[in-house]
Amino acid sequence: MPAVAVAKRRAKKRAPKRAEAALPKIELRAEPTAPPPKKPATLTLLDFFPQEESQQTRVARFFTELRAGRFMTTRCAKDKKLLWPPRVTCPQCHTEELEWVELPQRGHLYAFSALLAGAPLGMEDELPITVGLVDLEGAPLRLFGRLVGAPWNEIRVGERVRVEPYDLPDGRVFYRFHVESRSVEKPT
Amino acid sequence: MTGGRPVALVGGATTRFGVRAATWSQLVQEAGARLFAAIPNLAASDVDSLFVGAAEPERFAFQSHVAPLAAELLGLEPHRIVQRTELACASGQSAIRSAYAAISAGLSDVAVALGVEKMNLPSMAEANTSMACVMDRPWDGAHGATAPPFFAMVAQRHMLEHGTTEDQLAAVSEKNHRFANSNPDAQFHEKSFSREKLLRLPLIAPPLRLGDCSSMTDGAAAVLLVSGELARKYTDTPAWIRGSGQHASWHNLANAGSLTEWTGMRIAAREALGSAGITVDQLDFAELHDCFTISEIVEYEALGLCDPGKGGAYVADGRSDLGGDIVVNPRGGLLGCGHPLGATGVAQAVEVYRQFTHTVPPARQVPDPEWALVHNLSGSANVHSMMVYARGG
Ligand SMILES: [Zn+2]
Repeated sequence: MPAVAVAKRRAKKRAPKRAEAALPKIELRAEPTAPPPKKPATLTLLDFFPQEESQQTRVARFFTELRAGRFMTTRCAKDKKLLWPPRVTCPQCHTEELEWVELPQRGHLYAFSALLAGAPLGMEDELPITVGLVDLEGAPLRLFGRLVGAPWNEIRVGERVRVEPYDLPDGRVFYRFHVESRSVEKPT
Repeated sequence: MTGGRPVALVGGATTRFGVRAATWSQLVQEAGARLFAAIPNLAASDVDSLFVGAAEPERFAFQSHVAPLAAELLGLEPHRIVQRTELACASGQSAIRSAYAAISAGLSDVAVALGVEKMNLPSMAEANTSMACVMDRPWDGAHGATAPPFFAMVAQRHMLEHGTTEDQLAAVSEKNHRFANSNPDAQFHEKSFSREKLLRLPLIAPPLRLGDCSSMTDGAAAVLLVSGELARKYTDTPAWIRGSGQHASWHNLANAGSLTEWTGMRIAAREALGSAGITVDQLDFAELHDCFTISEIVEYEALGLCDPGKGGAYVADGRSDLGGDIVVNPRGGLLGCGHPLGATGVAQAVEVYRQFTHTVPPARQVPDPEWALVHNLSGSANVHSMMVYARGG
Protein backbone atom coordinates (compact mmCIF):
# COMPACT_ATOMS: atom_id res chain seq x y z
CA MET A 1 0.00 0.00 0.00
CA PRO A 2 1.46 3.41 -0.94
CA ALA A 3 2.59 5.63 1.89
CA VAL A 4 0.14 8.40 0.95
CA ALA A 5 -2.84 6.11 1.35
CA VAL A 6 -1.62 5.00 4.77
CA ALA A 7 -1.28 8.58 5.91
CA LYS A 8 -4.79 9.38 4.69
CA ARG A 9 -6.20 6.40 6.54
CA ARG A 10 -4.49 7.51 9.78
CA ALA A 11 -5.93 10.98 9.39
CA LYS A 12 -9.38 9.47 8.90
CA LYS A 13 -9.00 7.39 12.04
CA ARG A 14 -8.30 10.41 14.19
CA ALA A 15 -11.12 12.42 12.67
CA PRO A 16 -14.11 11.05 14.70
CA LYS A 17 -12.99 12.96 17.82
CA ARG A 18 -15.16 15.93 16.89
CA ALA A 19 -18.14 13.63 16.33
CA GLU A 20 -17.60 11.96 19.70
CA ALA A 21 -17.64 15.30 21.47
CA ALA A 22 -20.93 16.10 19.79
CA LEU A 23 -22.68 13.08 21.32
CA PRO A 24 -25.20 13.97 24.03
CA LYS A 25 -24.11 13.16 27.55
CA ILE A 26 -25.92 10.20 29.11
CA GLU A 27 -26.28 9.76 32.86
CA LEU A 28 -25.10 6.29 33.73
CA ARG A 29 -27.55 4.27 35.76
CA ALA A 30 -26.40 1.47 38.10
CA GLU A 31 -23.46 -0.68 37.12
CA PRO A 32 -24.53 -3.51 34.81
CA THR A 33 -25.04 -6.62 36.92
CA ALA A 34 -24.49 -9.14 34.18
CA PRO A 35 -21.03 -10.73 34.30
CA PRO A 36 -18.63 -9.48 31.62
CA PRO A 37 -19.08 -11.51 28.46
CA LYS A 38 -16.56 -14.30 28.22
CA LYS A 39 -14.81 -15.14 25.02
CA PRO A 40 -17.03 -17.71 23.34
CA ALA A 41 -15.52 -21.15 23.35
CA THR A 42 -14.11 -22.09 19.98
CA LEU A 43 -15.26 -25.54 19.00
CA THR A 44 -13.75 -27.33 16.07
CA LEU A 45 -16.36 -30.09 16.43
CA LEU A 46 -19.43 -30.18 18.60
CA ASP A 47 -18.59 -32.00 21.80
CA PHE A 48 -20.73 -33.53 24.54
CA PHE A 49 -21.17 -30.46 26.66
CA PRO A 50 -23.90 -27.83 26.30
CA GLN A 51 -23.29 -24.60 24.45
CA GLU A 52 -23.44 -22.12 27.28
CA GLU A 53 -23.08 -18.63 25.88
CA SER A 54 -26.03 -16.28 25.68
CA GLN A 55 -25.40 -16.00 21.93
CA GLN A 56 -25.90 -19.76 21.70
CA THR A 57 -28.65 -20.69 24.14
CA ARG A 58 -31.64 -19.17 25.88
CA VAL A 59 -30.70 -20.86 29.17
CA ALA A 60 -27.24 -19.30 29.56
CA ARG A 61 -28.35 -18.25 33.04
CA PHE A 62 -28.17 -21.88 34.19
CA PHE A 63 -24.43 -21.76 33.60
CA THR A 64 -23.74 -18.29 35.02
CA GLU A 65 -25.66 -19.26 38.17
CA LEU A 66 -23.87 -22.62 38.32
CA ARG A 67 -20.56 -20.78 38.20
CA ALA A 68 -21.78 -18.72 41.16
CA GLY A 69 -22.66 -21.90 43.07
CA ARG A 70 -26.41 -21.94 42.47
CA PHE A 71 -28.11 -24.93 40.83
CA MET A 72 -31.11 -23.70 38.88
CA THR A 73 -33.76 -24.80 36.48
CA THR A 74 -36.89 -23.35 34.96
CA ARG A 75 -40.45 -23.84 36.17
CA CYS A 76 -43.72 -23.08 34.44
CA ALA A 77 -45.08 -19.81 35.81
CA LYS A 78 -48.64 -20.95 35.15
CA ASP A 79 -48.93 -24.56 36.32
CA LYS A 80 -45.67 -24.61 38.33
CA LYS A 81 -44.41 -27.72 36.56
CA LEU A 82 -40.73 -28.12 37.39
CA LEU A 83 -38.77 -28.70 34.19
CA TRP A 84 -35.50 -30.53 33.58
CA PRO A 85 -33.32 -29.77 31.81
CA PRO A 86 -34.02 -26.00 31.83
CA ARG A 87 -36.60 -25.43 29.11
CA VAL A 88 -37.90 -22.31 27.39
CA THR A 89 -41.49 -23.53 27.03
CA CYS A 90 -43.70 -25.71 29.23
CA PRO A 91 -44.44 -29.10 27.64
CA GLN A 92 -47.57 -29.37 29.81
CA CYS A 93 -49.41 -26.13 29.00
CA HIS A 94 -47.14 -24.82 26.22
CA THR A 95 -46.69 -21.38 27.66
CA GLU A 96 -43.44 -19.50 27.22
CA GLU A 97 -43.84 -17.91 30.64
CA LEU A 98 -41.25 -19.74 32.71
CA GLU A 99 -39.45 -18.67 35.88
CA TRP A 100 -36.01 -19.55 37.22
CA VAL A 101 -35.94 -21.46 40.50
CA GLU A 102 -33.07 -22.64 42.65
CA LEU A 103 -32.82 -26.39 43.24
CA PRO A 104 -31.55 -28.17 46.33
CA GLN A 105 -27.98 -29.35 45.96
CA ARG A 106 -28.21 -32.42 48.13
CA GLY A 107 -29.70 -35.74 47.24
CA HIS A 108 -29.28 -39.46 47.52
CA LEU A 109 -28.46 -42.16 45.03
CA TYR A 110 -31.37 -44.04 43.49
CA ALA A 111 -29.10 -46.16 41.30
CA PHE A 112 -25.55 -46.10 39.98
CA SER A 113 -23.03 -47.98 37.90
CA ALA A 114 -19.63 -47.42 36.37
CA LEU A 115 -18.44 -47.81 32.84
CA LEU A 116 -15.23 -49.85 33.15
CA ALA A 117 -14.42 -50.13 29.44
CA GLY A 118 -15.50 -48.47 26.22
CA ALA A 119 -15.20 -44.74 26.97
CA PRO A 120 -16.25 -42.12 24.43
CA LEU A 121 -13.63 -39.93 22.74
CA GLY A 122 -12.05 -37.51 25.16
CA MET A 123 -13.18 -39.53 28.18
CA GLU A 124 -10.72 -42.43 27.79
CA ASP A 125 -8.61 -41.17 30.69
CA GLU A 126 -11.67 -40.90 32.93
CA LEU A 127 -12.40 -44.64 33.21
CA PRO A 128 -13.99 -45.94 35.30
CA ILE A 129 -16.79 -43.48 34.54
CA THR A 130 -19.06 -43.66 37.57
CA VAL A 131 -22.60 -42.36 37.02
CA GLY A 132 -25.84 -42.43 38.91
CA LEU A 133 -29.39 -41.22 39.27
CA VAL A 134 -29.83 -38.82 42.17
CA ASP A 135 -33.11 -38.02 43.96
CA LEU A 136 -32.78 -34.36 44.95
CA GLU A 137 -33.86 -33.68 48.53
CA GLY A 138 -36.97 -31.57 48.53
CA ALA A 139 -37.53 -31.39 44.79
CA PRO A 140 -39.36 -33.95 42.65
CA LEU A 141 -36.37 -34.50 40.38
CA ARG A 142 -34.20 -37.54 39.78
CA LEU A 143 -31.14 -36.33 37.88
CA PHE A 144 -28.51 -38.31 36.05
CA GLY A 145 -24.89 -37.36 36.49
CA ARG A 146 -21.25 -38.27 36.94
CA LEU A 147 -20.29 -39.36 40.46
CA VAL A 148 -16.96 -38.40 42.00
CA GLY A 149 -15.44 -38.59 45.45
CA ALA A 150 -15.52 -42.35 45.99
CA PRO A 151 -14.61 -45.41 43.93
CA TRP A 152 -17.58 -47.16 42.36
CA ASN A 153 -17.12 -50.34 44.37
CA GLU A 154 -17.45 -48.44 47.64
CA ILE A 155 -20.65 -46.60 46.74
CA ARG A 156 -24.08 -47.85 47.84
CA VAL A 157 -27.64 -47.10 46.74
CA GLY A 158 -29.09 -44.49 49.09
CA GLU A 159 -25.78 -42.73 49.61
CA ARG A 160 -25.88 -38.95 50.04
CA VAL A 161 -24.38 -36.80 47.31
CA ARG A 162 -24.18 -33.09 46.53
CA VAL A 163 -24.06 -31.05 43.36
CA GLU A 164 -20.54 -29.97 42.44
CA PRO A 165 -19.87 -27.43 39.67
CA TYR A 166 -16.60 -27.94 37.82
CA ASP A 167 -14.67 -26.19 35.08
CA LEU A 168 -14.27 -27.66 31.63
CA PRO A 169 -10.84 -27.18 30.01
CA ASP A 170 -12.15 -24.60 27.52
CA GLY A 171 -13.69 -22.33 30.17
CA ARG A 172 -17.21 -23.69 30.22
CA VAL A 173 -18.74 -24.91 33.47
CA PHE A 174 -20.68 -28.12 34.13
CA TYR A 175 -21.92 -30.06 37.16
CA ARG A 176 -21.46 -33.49 38.67
CA PHE A 177 -22.33 -35.16 41.94
CA HIS A 178 -19.86 -35.60 44.78
CA VAL A 179 -20.37 -38.52 47.14
CA GLU A 180 -20.77 -36.74 50.43
CA SER A 181 -20.70 -39.22 53.26
CA ARG A 182 -20.62 -42.87 54.15
CA SER A 183 -24.11 -42.65 55.61
CA VAL A 184 -26.55 -44.69 53.61
CA GLU A 185 -30.25 -43.98 53.69
CA LYS A 186 -32.66 -46.84 53.43
CA PRO A 187 -33.12 -47.64 49.73
CA THR A 188 -36.54 -46.73 48.38
CA MET B 1 -56.91 -55.61 12.77
CA THR B 2 -55.74 -52.20 11.68
CA GLY B 3 -57.48 -50.53 8.77
CA GLY B 4 -55.98 -50.41 5.32
CA ARG B 5 -54.75 -53.02 2.88
CA PRO B 6 -53.18 -56.31 4.01
CA VAL B 7 -49.38 -56.20 3.94
CA ALA B 8 -47.21 -59.29 3.42
CA LEU B 9 -43.57 -59.92 4.18
CA VAL B 10 -42.50 -62.18 1.31
CA GLY B 11 -38.83 -62.78 2.01
CA GLY B 12 -35.63 -61.35 3.34
CA ALA B 13 -31.97 -61.87 4.00
CA THR B 14 -29.16 -60.72 6.22
CA THR B 15 -25.43 -60.36 5.78
CA ARG B 16 -23.10 -62.12 8.15
CA PHE B 17 -22.99 -60.08 11.36
CA GLY B 18 -19.76 -59.40 13.19
CA VAL B 19 -16.57 -57.39 13.03
CA ARG B 20 -16.61 -57.24 9.27
CA ALA B 21 -13.81 -56.31 6.88
CA ALA B 22 -16.38 -54.37 4.87
CA THR B 23 -17.55 -50.77 4.59
CA TRP B 24 -21.07 -49.41 5.16
CA SER B 25 -21.73 -49.45 1.41
CA GLN B 26 -20.40 -52.97 1.02
CA LEU B 27 -22.68 -54.26 3.75
CA VAL B 28 -25.63 -52.69 1.91
CA GLN B 29 -24.52 -54.37 -1.31
CA GLU B 30 -24.27 -57.77 0.40
CA ALA B 31 -27.75 -57.44 1.90
CA GLY B 32 -29.14 -56.42 -1.48
CA ALA B 33 -27.55 -59.34 -3.32
CA ARG B 34 -28.82 -61.78 -0.70
CA LEU B 35 -32.32 -60.29 -0.85
CA PHE B 36 -32.53 -60.78 -4.62
CA ALA B 37 -31.09 -64.29 -4.24
CA ALA B 38 -33.70 -65.13 -1.60
CA ILE B 39 -36.60 -63.92 -3.76
CA PRO B 40 -35.98 -65.22 -7.30
CA ASN B 41 -39.10 -63.58 -8.72
CA LEU B 42 -38.12 -60.11 -7.54
CA ALA B 43 -37.11 -57.67 -10.27
CA ALA B 44 -35.54 -54.35 -9.31
CA SER B 45 -38.10 -52.57 -11.46
CA ASP B 46 -40.91 -53.99 -9.25
CA VAL B 47 -39.75 -51.95 -6.27
CA ASP B 48 -41.56 -48.61 -6.02
CA SER B 49 -40.31 -47.60 -2.57
CA LEU B 50 -37.19 -47.95 -0.42
CA PHE B 51 -36.85 -47.37 3.31
CA VAL B 52 -33.35 -47.46 4.80
CA GLY B 53 -33.05 -47.93 8.55
CA ALA B 54 -29.73 -46.49 9.64
CA ALA B 55 -29.13 -45.08 13.11
CA GLU B 56 -25.97 -43.03 12.75
CA PRO B 57 -24.39 -43.20 9.31
CA GLU B 58 -23.19 -39.61 9.79
CA ARG B 59 -21.02 -40.74 12.67
CA PHE B 60 -20.22 -44.36 11.83
CA ALA B 61 -19.66 -43.85 8.11
CA PHE B 62 -19.55 -40.02 7.81
CA GLN B 63 -22.34 -40.26 5.28
CA SER B 64 -25.72 -38.57 5.07
CA HIS B 65 -28.42 -38.90 2.41
CA VAL B 66 -28.04 -42.64 2.58
CA ALA B 67 -31.34 -43.77 1.04
CA PRO B 68 -30.40 -42.76 -2.52
CA LEU B 69 -26.97 -44.31 -1.98
CA ALA B 70 -28.62 -47.60 -1.03
CA ALA B 71 -30.95 -47.32 -4.04
CA GLU B 72 -27.96 -46.94 -6.32
CA LEU B 73 -26.17 -49.90 -4.73
CA LEU B 74 -29.23 -52.16 -5.09
CA GLY B 75 -30.00 -50.98 -8.60
CA LEU B 76 -33.37 -49.60 -7.52
CA GLU B 77 -35.18 -46.58 -8.90
CA PRO B 78 -37.92 -46.00 -6.33
CA HIS B 79 -40.55 -43.66 -7.74
CA ARG B 80 -43.00 -43.44 -4.84
CA ILE B 81 -41.17 -43.16 -1.51
CA VAL B 82 -37.44 -43.18 -0.80
CA GLN B 83 -36.25 -42.25 2.67
CA ARG B 84 -34.09 -43.11 5.63
CA THR B 85 -35.67 -43.97 8.98
CA GLU B 86 -33.84 -43.22 12.21
CA LEU B 87 -34.88 -44.38 15.66
CA ALA B 88 -31.52 -45.36 17.15
CA CYS B 89 -31.63 -49.08 18.00
CA ALA B 90 -35.09 -49.40 16.40
CA SER B 91 -34.17 -47.78 13.08
CA GLY B 92 -34.63 -51.08 11.23
CA GLN B 93 -38.10 -51.72 12.55
CA SER B 94 -38.87 -48.10 11.69
CA ALA B 95 -38.06 -48.87 8.06
CA ILE B 96 -40.43 -51.84 8.13
CA ARG B 97 -43.17 -49.90 9.90
CA SER B 98 -42.86 -47.07 7.37
CA ALA B 99 -43.07 -49.51 4.45
CA TYR B 100 -46.04 -51.20 6.14
CA ALA B 101 -47.79 -47.86 6.58
CA ALA B 102 -47.16 -46.86 2.98
CA ILE B 103 -48.40 -50.14 1.52
CA SER B 104 -51.34 -50.31 3.89
CA ALA B 105 -52.36 -46.81 2.82
CA GLY B 106 -52.05 -47.62 -0.87
CA LEU B 107 -49.08 -45.31 -1.41
CA SER B 108 -46.75 -48.20 -2.24
CA ASP B 109 -47.22 -51.71 -3.61
CA VAL B 110 -43.72 -53.17 -3.43
CA ALA B 111 -41.21 -51.81 -0.92
CA VAL B 112 -37.77 -52.83 0.26
CA ALA B 113 -36.96 -52.17 3.92
CA LEU B 114 -33.22 -52.35 4.46
CA GLY B 115 -31.37 -51.88 7.73
CA VAL B 116 -27.65 -51.36 8.13
CA GLU B 117 -24.97 -50.23 10.57
CA LYS B 118 -21.18 -50.22 10.37
CA MET B 119 -20.07 -49.84 13.98
CA ASN B 120 -16.52 -51.15 14.12
CA LEU B 121 -14.22 -48.27 13.32
CA PRO B 122 -10.44 -47.85 13.54
CA SER B 123 -11.08 -45.94 16.78
CA MET B 124 -13.65 -47.63 19.00
CA ALA B 125 -13.67 -44.46 21.13
CA GLU B 126 -15.23 -42.78 18.12
CA ALA B 127 -17.88 -45.51 17.99
CA ASN B 128 -18.53 -45.17 21.72
CA THR B 129 -18.99 -41.43 21.23
CA SER B 130 -21.71 -42.17 18.72
CA MET B 131 -23.48 -44.36 21.26
CA ALA B 132 -23.37 -41.57 23.84
CA CYS B 133 -25.27 -39.13 21.63
CA VAL B 134 -28.32 -41.40 21.54
CA MET B 135 -29.22 -40.12 25.00
CA ASP B 136 -29.98 -36.45 25.73
CA ARG B 137 -26.47 -35.49 24.63
CA PRO B 138 -25.75 -32.16 26.42
CA TRP B 139 -27.47 -33.08 29.71
CA ASP B 140 -27.05 -36.87 30.03
CA GLY B 141 -24.46 -37.87 27.42
CA ALA B 142 -22.06 -35.21 28.72
CA HIS B 143 -21.78 -37.14 31.99
CA GLY B 144 -20.55 -40.16 30.05
CA ALA B 145 -23.93 -41.86 29.60
CA THR B 146 -23.63 -44.76 27.23
CA ALA B 147 -25.98 -47.74 27.20
CA PRO B 148 -24.08 -50.13 29.54
CA PRO B 149 -24.21 -47.98 32.70
CA PHE B 150 -27.86 -47.14 32.08
CA PHE B 151 -28.95 -50.77 31.73
CA ALA B 152 -26.64 -51.65 34.63
CA MET B 153 -28.75 -49.32 36.78
CA VAL B 154 -31.87 -51.13 35.56
CA ALA B 155 -30.25 -54.40 36.63
CA GLN B 156 -29.19 -52.95 39.97
CA ARG B 157 -32.72 -51.75 40.74
CA HIS B 158 -34.26 -55.03 39.55
CA MET B 159 -31.93 -56.97 41.83
CA LEU B 160 -32.70 -54.63 44.72
CA GLU B 161 -36.47 -54.60 44.25
CA HIS B 162 -37.06 -58.19 43.11
CA GLY B 163 -34.02 -60.23 44.10
CA THR B 164 -32.99 -60.94 40.52
CA THR B 165 -29.58 -62.63 40.40
CA GLU B 166 -26.49 -62.56 38.20
CA ASP B 167 -27.16 -66.22 37.50
CA GLN B 168 -30.59 -65.34 36.07
CA LEU B 169 -28.98 -62.69 33.88
CA ALA B 170 -26.55 -65.33 32.66
CA ALA B 171 -29.46 -67.64 31.84
CA VAL B 172 -30.65 -65.12 29.21
CA SER B 173 -27.18 -64.90 27.71
CA GLU B 174 -26.67 -68.68 27.70
CA LYS B 175 -30.00 -69.27 25.92
CA ASN B 176 -29.48 -66.64 23.25
CA HIS B 177 -25.87 -67.60 22.59
CA ARG B 178 -26.99 -71.24 22.27
CA PHE B 179 -29.56 -70.25 19.63
CA ALA B 180 -26.91 -68.17 17.85
CA ASN B 181 -24.86 -71.32 17.51
CA SER B 182 -27.33 -72.53 14.91
CA ASN B 183 -27.38 -69.19 13.09
CA PRO B 184 -24.42 -69.00 10.69
CA ASP B 185 -24.90 -65.23 10.25
CA ALA B 186 -24.60 -64.55 13.99
CA GLN B 187 -21.56 -62.73 15.36
CA PHE B 188 -21.13 -65.45 18.01
CA HIS B 189 -21.83 -68.43 15.78
CA GLU B 190 -19.92 -71.51 16.94
CA LYS B 191 -19.03 -69.98 20.28
CA SER B 192 -20.58 -71.54 23.34
CA PHE B 193 -21.10 -69.82 26.66
CA SER B 194 -22.02 -71.79 29.75
CA ARG B 195 -23.51 -69.87 32.68
CA GLU B 196 -20.31 -70.57 34.62
CA LYS B 197 -18.16 -69.14 31.83
CA LEU B 198 -20.45 -66.10 31.47
CA LEU B 199 -20.17 -65.35 35.21
CA ARG B 200 -16.38 -65.27 34.92
CA LEU B 201 -16.28 -62.73 32.09
CA PRO B 202 -15.04 -59.24 33.01
CA LEU B 203 -17.40 -56.57 34.31
CA ILE B 204 -18.29 -53.88 31.79
CA ALA B 205 -20.71 -51.85 33.91
CA PRO B 206 -21.40 -53.57 37.23
CA PRO B 207 -23.42 -55.70 37.69
CA LEU B 208 -23.33 -56.31 33.92
CA ARG B 209 -20.49 -58.40 32.52
CA LEU B 210 -19.27 -58.74 28.96
CA GLY B 211 -21.70 -61.60 28.32
CA ASP B 212 -24.64 -59.43 29.47
CA CYS B 213 -24.02 -56.84 26.75
CA SER B 214 -24.71 -57.00 23.02
CA SER B 215 -21.79 -56.09 20.80
CA MET B 216 -20.77 -53.33 18.47
CA THR B 217 -21.49 -55.11 15.22
CA ASP B 218 -21.34 -54.56 11.47
CA GLY B 219 -24.20 -55.93 9.44
CA ALA B 220 -27.15 -55.33 7.15
CA ALA B 221 -30.47 -56.99 6.42
CA ALA B 222 -33.30 -56.47 3.96
CA VAL B 223 -36.90 -57.60 3.56
CA LEU B 224 -39.48 -57.26 0.84
CA LEU B 225 -42.96 -56.04 1.79
CA VAL B 226 -45.81 -56.08 -0.71
CA SER B 227 -49.53 -55.45 -0.82
CA GLY B 228 -51.57 -58.58 -0.16
CA GLU B 229 -52.71 -59.23 -3.71
CA LEU B 230 -49.09 -59.29 -4.94
CA ALA B 231 -47.79 -61.68 -2.28
CA ARG B 232 -48.16 -64.88 -4.31
CA LYS B 233 -45.95 -63.51 -7.04
CA TYR B 234 -43.02 -63.78 -4.66
CA THR B 235 -43.80 -66.63 -2.27
CA ASP B 236 -46.30 -69.34 -1.45
CA THR B 237 -45.77 -68.69 2.24
CA PRO B 238 -46.13 -64.99 3.05
CA ALA B 239 -45.94 -63.68 6.60
CA TRP B 240 -48.65 -61.11 7.31
CA ILE B 241 -48.21 -57.98 9.37
CA ARG B 242 -51.23 -58.04 11.66
CA GLY B 243 -50.43 -55.51 14.34
CA SER B 244 -48.21 -52.62 15.25
CA GLY B 245 -47.64 -50.50 18.32
CA GLN B 246 -45.15 -47.93 19.46
CA HIS B 247 -44.74 -45.66 22.44
CA ALA B 248 -42.56 -42.69 23.40
CA SER B 249 -42.99 -40.08 26.09
CA TRP B 250 -39.63 -38.96 27.48
CA HIS B 251 -35.98 -38.66 26.54
CA ASN B 252 -33.96 -37.07 29.34
CA LEU B 253 -33.31 -39.61 32.10
CA ALA B 254 -34.76 -37.21 34.68
CA ASN B 255 -38.16 -37.85 33.16
CA ALA B 256 -37.84 -41.63 33.10
CA GLY B 257 -39.84 -42.71 36.14
CA SER B 258 -39.30 -46.32 37.20
CA LEU B 259 -36.26 -48.07 35.76
CA THR B 260 -37.76 -51.51 36.23
CA GLU B 261 -41.35 -51.08 35.06
CA TRP B 262 -41.41 -50.31 31.38
CA THR B 263 -44.92 -48.91 31.15
CA GLY B 264 -44.26 -47.65 27.63
CA MET B 265 -43.68 -51.22 26.51
CA ARG B 266 -46.96 -52.28 28.12
CA ILE B 267 -48.75 -49.59 26.13
CA ALA B 268 -47.00 -50.56 22.87
CA ALA B 269 -47.86 -54.24 23.52
CA ARG B 270 -51.51 -53.46 24.20
CA GLU B 271 -51.61 -51.54 20.93
CA ALA B 272 -49.73 -54.17 18.90
CA LEU B 273 -51.56 -57.23 20.25
CA GLY B 274 -54.87 -55.37 20.28
CA SER B 275 -54.55 -54.33 16.65
CA ALA B 276 -53.72 -57.96 15.77
CA GLY B 277 -56.70 -59.14 17.80
CA ILE B 278 -54.71 -61.64 19.85
CA THR B 279 -53.54 -62.07 23.41
CA VAL B 280 -49.96 -62.57 24.53
CA ASP B 281 -50.46 -66.29 25.20
CA GLN B 282 -51.24 -66.86 21.51
CA LEU B 283 -47.68 -65.91 20.54
CA ASP B 284 -45.47 -68.84 19.57
CA PHE B 285 -42.25 -66.88 19.64
CA ALA B 286 -40.99 -63.36 20.12
CA GLU B 287 -37.93 -61.48 19.04
CA LEU B 288 -37.38 -59.26 22.08
CA HIS B 289 -34.72 -56.55 22.19
CA ASP B 290 -32.04 -58.17 24.38
CA CYS B 291 -29.47 -55.38 24.05
CA PHE B 292 -28.60 -56.44 27.60
CA THR B 293 -29.65 -59.55 29.53
CA ILE B 294 -31.64 -57.42 31.98
CA SER B 295 -33.62 -55.94 29.08
CA GLU B 296 -35.05 -59.33 28.13
CA ILE B 297 -36.02 -60.00 31.76
CA VAL B 298 -37.86 -56.68 32.13
CA GLU B 299 -39.48 -57.26 28.72
CA TYR B 300 -41.03 -60.59 29.81
CA GLU B 301 -42.75 -58.63 32.56
CA ALA B 302 -43.79 -55.64 30.44
CA LEU B 303 -45.15 -57.92 27.72
CA GLY B 304 -47.23 -59.71 30.32
CA LEU B 305 -45.53 -63.11 30.01
CA CYS B 306 -45.02 -63.13 33.76
CA ASP B 307 -45.75 -61.00 36.82
CA PRO B 308 -43.65 -57.91 37.56
CA GLY B 309 -40.40 -58.92 39.21
CA LYS B 310 -40.61 -62.55 38.10
CA GLY B 311 -38.65 -62.23 34.83
CA GLY B 312 -35.47 -63.69 36.30
CA ALA B 313 -37.21 -66.87 37.42
CA TYR B 314 -39.07 -67.01 34.10
CA VAL B 315 -35.88 -67.44 32.10
CA ALA B 316 -34.09 -69.58 34.69
CA ASP B 317 -37.04 -72.01 34.64
CA GLY B 318 -36.76 -72.36 30.86
CA ARG B 319 -40.16 -70.82 30.14
CA SER B 320 -38.74 -68.62 27.32
CA ASP B 321 -36.77 -71.50 25.79
CA LEU B 322 -37.72 -74.21 23.31
CA GLY B 323 -40.23 -76.39 25.13
CA GLY B 324 -41.34 -73.49 27.35
CA ASP B 325 -44.37 -71.16 27.23
CA ILE B 326 -42.96 -69.10 24.34
CA VAL B 327 -39.61 -69.12 22.55
CA VAL B 328 -37.82 -65.80 22.97
CA ASN B 329 -35.07 -64.88 20.54
CA PRO B 330 -34.63 -68.13 18.59
CA ARG B 331 -32.48 -66.14 16.11
CA GLY B 332 -29.89 -65.76 18.85
CA GLY B 333 -30.96 -62.30 19.93
CA LEU B 334 -28.82 -59.22 19.96
CA LEU B 335 -26.60 -60.96 22.49
CA GLY B 336 -25.77 -63.83 20.15
CA CYS B 337 -26.10 -62.16 16.75
CA GLY B 338 -24.58 -58.79 17.63
CA HIS B 339 -26.44 -55.50 17.35
CA PRO B 340 -25.80 -53.46 14.22
CA LEU B 341 -28.37 -50.82 15.22
CA GLY B 342 -30.18 -50.24 11.94
CA ALA B 343 -29.95 -53.89 10.84
CA THR B 344 -31.28 -55.54 13.98
CA GLY B 345 -35.00 -54.85 13.52
CA VAL B 346 -34.89 -56.03 9.92
CA ALA B 347 -32.92 -59.17 10.81
CA GLN B 348 -35.57 -60.00 13.43
CA ALA B 349 -38.24 -59.80 10.70
CA VAL B 350 -36.13 -62.09 8.50
CA GLU B 351 -36.13 -64.59 11.38
CA VAL B 352 -39.94 -64.38 11.57
CA TYR B 353 -40.20 -65.26 7.88
CA ARG B 354 -37.71 -68.11 8.23
CA GLN B 355 -39.41 -69.54 11.31
CA PHE B 356 -42.79 -69.44 9.59
CA THR B 357 -41.34 -71.20 6.53
CA HIS B 358 -39.37 -73.76 8.57
CA THR B 359 -36.09 -72.78 6.94
CA VAL B 360 -33.95 -72.52 10.08
CA PRO B 361 -31.84 -75.34 11.56
CA PRO B 362 -33.83 -77.69 13.83
CA ALA B 363 -31.89 -76.52 16.91
CA ARG B 364 -33.72 -73.19 16.79
CA GLN B 365 -36.92 -74.07 14.92
CA VAL B 366 -40.03 -73.14 16.89
CA PRO B 367 -42.57 -75.97 16.45
CA ASP B 368 -45.23 -74.98 13.91
CA PRO B 369 -45.34 -71.24 14.72
CA GLU B 370 -48.39 -69.18 13.76
CA TRP B 371 -47.94 -65.90 15.63
CA ALA B 372 -44.79 -63.92 16.30
CA LEU B 373 -43.99 -60.59 17.88
CA VAL B 374 -40.97 -58.41 17.16
CA HIS B 375 -39.92 -55.80 19.71
CA ASN B 376 -37.22 -53.17 19.71
CA LEU B 377 -36.49 -50.72 22.42
CA SER B 378 -34.36 -47.72 21.62
CA GLY B 379 -32.18 -45.35 23.60
CA SER B 380 -32.65 -45.80 27.33
CA ALA B 381 -35.75 -47.98 26.80
CA ASN B 382 -37.69 -44.74 26.37
CA VAL B 383 -39.18 -45.93 23.08
CA HIS B 384 -40.75 -49.32 22.42
CA SER B 385 -41.62 -50.48 18.92
CA MET B 386 -43.56 -53.66 18.20
CA MET B 387 -44.99 -55.55 15.28
CA VAL B 388 -47.10 -58.69 15.21
CA TYR B 389 -46.83 -61.20 12.36
CA ALA B 390 -49.07 -64.11 11.42
CA ARG B 391 -48.12 -67.06 9.26
CA GLY B 392 -50.00 -67.16 6.00
CA GLY B 393 -51.34 -70.25 4.29
ZN1 LIG C 1 -47.12 -25.14 32.11
